[in-house]
Parts: sequence; C-alpha cells; structure tokens
Amino acid sequence: MTISELFDVSVFFILFRETLEASIIISVLLAFLKQGVGNANEDLTVYRKLVRQVWFGALLGFSICLVLGGICVAAWYRLGKDVWSASEDIWESVFCIIAGFIISYMGLAMLRLNKMKGKWRHKIADALADRDGRNTIGSFSSKYAMAILPFVTVLRESIEAIVFIGGVTLSASPKSVPLSVVAGILCGSALGYFIYQGGNHMSIQVFLIFSTCFLYLVAASLMSRGVWYFENYEWSQLVGGDIAEVGSGPGSYDIRRSVWHVNCCNPLFDGGWMIFNALLGWQNSATYGSILMYNFYWIAIIITVCVMLYRENPGYFPIITKYQNVASDEIDLTLPPSVAGSSARTSEESDLIVIDPSSSRYGDPNPYGVGSSSSHMPSIIDDINIGSAPSSATTSLETNRASLESIQDVDANSDPLGASMLTSA
Amino acid sequence: MRVFSLLATLAASATVVLAATVQYDFSVDWVQANPDGDYDRTFIGINGEWPPPPIKCNIHDRVIVNVTNNLGNEPTAIHFHGLFMNGTNAMDGPAFVTQCPVPAGNNIIYNFTVDQPGMYWYHSHYGGQYPDGLRAPFIVYDPDEPFAGQYDEDTYLSVSDYYHQSIPWLTANKFLTLTNPTGGEPIPDAALFNNSQNIKFKVEPNKTYKIRIVNMGALVSQYIWFEGHDFKIVEVDGIYVEPTDASMIYITVAQRYTILLTTKNSTDTNYPMIASFDTTMLDHVPNSLVWNVTGWLTYDENAAFPEPAMIDQYDFYDDFNLVPVEKEQPYEPDYQVSVSVKMNNLGDGVNYAFFNDISYVAPDVPALYTVMSSGNLSTDATVYGANTHTYVLGYQEVVEIVLNNLDKGTHPFHLHGHTFQVVERSPAAPDANTYLTYDSANPGTVNEYPMRRDTVYVRPNGYFVLRFKTDNPGVWFFHCHIEWHLEQGLALVLVEAPLEIQSRQVIPEDHYAACKAGGYAYEGNAAGNTVNLLDLSGEKLQPKPLPAGFTARGIVAMVFSCISAFAGMGFITWYGLSDLKSTELEVAEALGEPLDDSDESK
Repeated sequence: MTISELFDVSVFFILFRETLEASIIISVLLAFLKQGVGNANEDLTVYRKLVRQVWFGALLGFSICLVLGGICVAAWYRLGKDVWSASEDIWESVFCIIAGFIISYMGLAMLRLNKMKGKWRHKIADALADRDGRNTIGSFSSKYAMAILPFVTVLRESIEAIVFIGGVTLSASPKSVPLSVVAGILCGSALGYFIYQGGNHMSIQVFLIFSTCFLYLVAASLMSRGVWYFENYEWSQLVGGDIAEVGSGPGSYDIRRSVWHVNCCNPLFDGGWMIFNALLGWQNSATYGSILMYNFYWIAIIITVCVMLYRENPGYFPIITKYQNVASDEIDLTLPPSVAGSSARTSEESDLIVIDPSSSRYGDPNPYGVGSSSSHMPSIIDDINIGSAPSSATTSLETNRASLESIQDVDANSDPLGASMLTSA
Repeated sequence: MRVFSLLATLAASATVVLAATVQYDFSVDWVQANPDGDYDRTFIGINGEWPPPPIKCNIHDRVIVNVTNNLGNEPTAIHFHGLFMNGTNAMDGPAFVTQCPVPAGNNIIYNFTVDQPGMYWYHSHYGGQYPDGLRAPFIVYDPDEPFAGQYDEDTYLSVSDYYHQSIPWLTANKFLTLTNPTGGEPIPDAALFNNSQNIKFKVEPNKTYKIRIVNMGALVSQYIWFEGHDFKIVEVDGIYVEPTDASMIYITVAQRYTILLTTKNSTDTNYPMIASFDTTMLDHVPNSLVWNVTGWLTYDENAAFPEPAMIDQYDFYDDFNLVPVEKEQPYEPDYQVSVSVKMNNLGDGVNYAFFNDISYVAPDVPALYTVMSSGNLSTDATVYGANTHTYVLGYQEVVEIVLNNLDKGTHPFHLHGHTFQVVERSPAAPDANTYLTYDSANPGTVNEYPMRRDTVYVRPNGYFVLRFKTDNPGVWFFHCHIEWHLEQGLALVLVEAPLEIQSRQVIPEDHYAACKAGGYAYEGNAAGNTVNLLDLSGEKLQPKPLPAGFTARGIVAMVFSCISAFAGMGFITWYGLSDLKSTELEVAEALGEPLDDSDESK
C-alpha cells in the first residue's frame, strides 16, 4: 500500500481550510466575549459559562458534521463505485476536473485571511444583533446564544465542506479519506490557534502563500489529469480492451496524441510516481490535451489573479477603468451593532480595535475586516456577505477609487504607517 | 476441370507406379458457403466450389496446376506446402519470393514433379489470403510406404480455425491497425473438421484406417483425440517415422500427421473425435467462442452419438521424440543463422513481428527474380533489400537455424523447400519474465536420430535449433505459419546457392507475364534497380521506430509547463503578499482618520 492510497491532498486541503475557518469563528466569538464580559470587574463565572457555551456549540456542530460527512462519503463510495466501475476512466476524468475546480475556487480565498476573519466578525455581530431584536421569542435561544451561534455557523459551513469533499474524494481512494481528514483538521486547528494567539502575520501569510502555491500545483495536475483520463478513456474504447495489460509500453497510449512517452515511471503502477502525479501532474505518457490543459490552467489562474488584484486595487495596474465606481457608491458605511450581551454596547470602531485581543497584536484593527472586500471576488465569502449584510467598505476603497493621484498617495502613505503599526504591535 | 491420369485413380494400389502427369485446372473465384451453420460468407473457392478439391497424385508424378484468377478484386499465388520443388523453385508459390502475385483475370501454370510421399497441402501464399478459403490437402500416394498393407482404408481429416469476416477486412480494421497496439490476433469464430462440424466419420469395426491429418487453419494449434481409441503416428510432414503409440496429437497450423487407427470390435456406440483449440494462443477467449469441434467415429448411424467427455489435461505426444524411418544422426553445421523473435510497435503505432529487429517487408522484385537478374551479385545479400532479411547460403552445406523466441506465444515455423532436423527444442519458459535461449556450450537434449519435418513450433520464451542440408538451390521462405504473424513480418528469406539457381533453372514466360500484367517489377534488385544493383534507394522499408522518450516536442512541452507553473505560482505569491500590503493599508485607514480627511479636503 502506498502513501497516495492512504493520503489524499485534496481532502486534506478542504479539511484544513474548513477547520481554519471554524477556528476563526471560535476565536472571534471568544474575542467578543473577552471584550464584552471578560473584563476584570465583570462576573467571571458568566464569562466562563459563555466561553464553555461557545466551545460546546462549535464542537457539537463540528462533530455532527463529521458524522454526517462520514456517512455521506461512505454512502457515496458504496453506491458510486458500482455505478462507475464500468467506465472508470471517464469518471476519473470528470472527478479530477471537479476537484480541480473546487480547489481553484477555494484556494485564493485562503490568501485573504483577514477578509475571512472580518467576514465572521461581521456575521456574528449581525447575528447577535438580530437575536437582540427578537429577545422575546424564546428564553432558550437567548440563554444559549453563545452555543447556538457557533453551532449553526459551524454546521452550515461544514455542510459546504462535505459537499466539496464529496466532489473531491470521488477521484480518491476511500482509504485515503480518514487520514487526510484527521491531518487536515489537526493542521487547520493548529494554524487557527496560532492565529488566535497572534502569531506573526508575516509568517502566517508566507505559510499560506506557500500552501496555496502548492495547492494550485495540485489543482493544475488534477485538471491535466482529468483531460488525460478522458483521452485514456477514448483510447481504451478504441482499443477495445484493457490497456493496463500492456503496462507502460507501446500500445498503452495513442501515439497520435503523444507528446512524450517513457516506458517507465507510470503513475498507475509505481507508488513513487503516483505521488509525483498527484502533486505535480506527472505523466509518463503526456498527451497534447493534458499538456495544453496544464498550461491553459496556469494562464487562467494568472488572469484570475490579475483581475482580482485589479478589482481590489486598480492602482496595481496602469490602466484604469471607471465602471467600478458604481458599486462603491452603494456601500453603506454604517457599522452594524457589534456586540450583544455586553452591558455597554460600543459601536465605535476605534473602541473595538483597541479592545480586540485577537487582532491587535498583529495589527488588524479593522473588526469588520471588509477593507478590501467590496470587490466581487468569486468566493463563498462574498456570497455570504451579500446575503447577510449590506456590503461594507472602508473609506480607503472609496478614496482609492476617487482618482489615480489619491491612490498613489494612499499607497505611498500607507507603507510607513503600516510598518509603524506592525512594529508597534 | 480435373484431368486424371489413368494411374492416379489407382492411387492406393500397391503396384509398380510409372510416372504420370496429373493436371488440375483451377478457376479461383468467390463462392458462398456456411461451414459452421452460423454465418453465410464468401470464400475463395475453386471451380465454383468451396471447399476446394484436394490434389491427389502418386509419388514421382508430374503435377500441372493451371490456375486462373477469377477473383476480380484480389491477386493470388498458390504454394504447395512441403514439396521441395527441387529444380523448380519458381513453382513454390509465395508472392514476392518466387513469383509475382497473379493479378485478377490472369493465369499461371505450376508444373513440377513430386518426389516425396505423404500428406501435404496447398494454399494461397499471397498476403493473408488462405484463411479466406483457398487451402486444401495435397495427398501423395506411395506404394512403397513402410506400413503398406497395415491398413484397410486411406483417408484424410482436416482441422481449421475459421473466421466469419474476410482476412483483408480483419487485417485492415482489427489487426494491423493503431487501435490494436498489442497485436492481438483476431479471434476465430469457430473450429472446423473437414470444413464442417459434427461430421460423421464412417468406420467399420475391426479395420485399420490410415488418417492423414492436416491443420489448415490460420492461427491456432489444435489438440486432436479419438475417444476410446489410441493410434500410431507413422508420418509427419511427409517424413515416415517409426510407428509410435499416441492417444492425442498437438498439431500446429500447417503441420500434418498421418496415423493408423484401428477400430473396435463392436458397433454398439459411436465415439466422439475432438479437435480443441490451444487457447493459450488466443489473445483472449470470448465467452461466445466454442473452441472445440466434435465429430464421431461412426460405427452405426443408428447408435448413440454421445457428447465428448471432459478431459483433465491435454496429454499429447511430443513430436520431438519421433524417430524417422530413414535414420540420420544430427548434421554438423557449417553455417548458422541465429534469430530472435520479438513483437513490438513501430512509429505508426501498429504492432509488428521481428526476427532480430527486422520485420519482413516484401520487396518490389521477387527475390528469385533478383537472383535471376543480378549475375554474380546474387551472392551479395544486399541486392535482396535490407528489410527482406535475406541470408545467402552456399551449396551443399549444413545450415543451422537457431531461433530464440522472446515472445510469450507459441509459434509454428515453416521452412520452404526443405525438411529439417529438429535438433533441440526447449520447453516453454517457466514464466513470462524468464527466457530460455540456446547456448551451444551447454546444449539441451539431442536425440540420436532427430525428428525431421517442415513445420515446427517453438514454445513461449523458448528456443529451437534446426539443421538442414543446402541440397536444393532456390529461394526459400522461412516464416511463422500463423498467417497474422506473417502479415506482421515474421519471416526471412534464404537464398540457397544462387549461382546454381541461375545455371540450372528457368522461370517460365507465363510467370513473367503475371508480373507484367500486374505492373510488378521483375528485374534488378529489391528496389527494382537494374543498373546499379547495390543501389537500393527506394526499397520498401519497415516504419520508423516509435519516438523514444523525450523528443524535442516533449522537452518544449515540459519546459513550457514548468514556466507556466512557476509564473502562476509567482502571481499567486504576488496576490498573497498584496494581502499584507492591503492589511497595512487598512491599519492606516483605520487609525489615520486625518489621512482620509486630508484626502477629502483636497
């Protein structure tokens, strides 16, 4: 049994990311509690009780989702493998491409960790405020608000993860799921704790950049493999037999489509090359299709990154279009009520910044974390934001879009300020 | 139609036989038939009949076969399998070896004397044509056979595999094609006994039958046995052998066995006789394939015809141990031809067969015609073309053919113009990754009087060693008799004593006429060059090998993939780092209200 049979990178990544998100929810909630009721002159028993509620709710949600996910994946395999075993290559192809899309879709959002944190602060604050307004509905919900909220949010996010894992694991061996899930959860929690404790923002970001690069390598290889499997399927249909019979040698591939072929290092048979294939998309028999897919995928990623960077900050690019001004006009600058259950509700941004323990240490003073999120980044984060609250934007974006000069001014000014902020942290 | 000489009809009579002339006029044409009752197809028949008639003659007779090709859409050529054609090499028949294919609408006359007794067969030797039907027994009666008088009836039995589709269609669409990269031979649709199935082989009790058995199939060897009856093997491939008890034979394509079978005393029941495919020679065994064919030794039409019994294993007699009646110790070889059999794909994606990395490609000029038109250069193998894999042999030498089979299949090899001593033959290698190859320093079993025949099998990953005397000047084909493998190029050419051929033999005008009618070159070297015989430019060659590993395009593709991956990761890194920057920006925004104010105030 090889490593690749026991470990699947895609599953690991999804769990890692979802766990990271869950740990951010918990850290945000804990931060609210700390600032709201955790002060020295408040009742510490209430604070501890609420903290326990948070942990209880989050863990309950998470464990339910694990059970649900386990059942789903098991059922998926049990039902699916029979249906798909007949023409495995074509399904392998489809699932590789699905997995590639999922990773591509989730990947870049990882690099906007602050945005992710901001989203959750925003949502929790909103939810708490809503609950305040419906205080009379039931004493249960008000009593256990601190458990229900993380429970519901964790559960909701996790179902999304299950769906994603369902898509990704189809191309993986069922044996690979448990280890990948455990490893993903452990790594995600570890990083979440690191962030909560206020680890070095720079090193966290560098870590995330590295892992994102790595993940896109995986996604590119998945896309390429999807095409490869499709072509392999076509070839096996043409040949009308089991082409695995001929091993890596002549006849195992369609010479008309071959770009290179070496009679060794076949990822279908050789464990080491299997890992090389999973991570980097290695094929001993490359086809025009798989090579083109690999290259076009990277070109698409480059274009996407450019578009996203441009939308976040057109100043990165010399060409400026004006069409985006429309969106920023609608941005509501009022901040939603922030903390429920605190006797002295503060809606002042600056207050929050000062007392937020989780963020101040590494210099994220923006509690709503939406500084740059008015862009229409194609991610779940935005989808949820739009649904839960009107998009908020900081003034920075407004000013950035005002004119080219002002953008350059801000850029020029922000550096020293930012640096000083980091050093002061 | 046939014209029999008076004496030919008295074939089996054990009297003094005078040489006679036997003439057959064959019109080769398409005939509808349905031998297995499953599928009506067109066969190549003779004189409007399928199966074609057997040729029968007495030893020392002159046989004239006047062949007219009335197929309309295919050329043809007829080979008389096993006959030495001593002095008449041009009558041997293989297209592009000793003659041009006879184009549709043309005529050719084969005229030769038969000085060998026993069981032979004739078949088309153009392309892969004979499994489409043009094959039949060729029986030579010999009043002086060593077992004369020991039998009551002289009869024959043919076995064959059988395809519903035509060979050219199968070759083009299922076999020599990119989509058959493993070279899997088309699977036969049925097995036939005497071109039929469920035959009733009428016998009488207490009699001895001489049964000449021939496998006229295209691909598979067959096991043959007669339930409840043992028999004696008395002749193989025209060589009389010491009568040898056996209960089952293993007969490859093109081999012949003559047996003496004595019937039982009673007529209570009939006995199944079975021919069963050697299924290990099939690429795969489809569920629908019935790979046995049954007939019955029919004592009594009204008695039961029982189903054949299952057998545990094929316990056949190993022909290696047969002892010829005419005993000869192993010859001492003067010259060795050593070849290895391989199957591999070439650059067009098609699977070919190779002797020493050469896959036979027919030349433009039949090799015999090159002999006749190349003067003293005929002793230089170059003139026969690089891809015909030609060896020039001296006269009156002993040639040894060492064949190492590096393929995992059983192959029946046939040498035209000779019988050979089977000096050594290994069993199959124990597994697919082991090769048993001939080592002259460490010989295997050699019998005192080696068996001789004209078609012999080699086992998977095994080898054999053959020896023969070059006492028959001529151009002789040595090839695998699996018709598919011949199409894949598993053949080589032996040009034996070319100067002797030039001085003693003549190619008749009607043979040249066939070349002219078909537009085939008939002079000069393999490429048809008559001026400079050593200039082979334009000769037919096998396709180029598959590109090995990373060629230029592979390297370019790999480099581009690496560049785009690194570029992509670069952009991702940029994107990631810009988050740091924007965070700092937000910090500035959040803390620096005056900054905003000042901006707005501008």
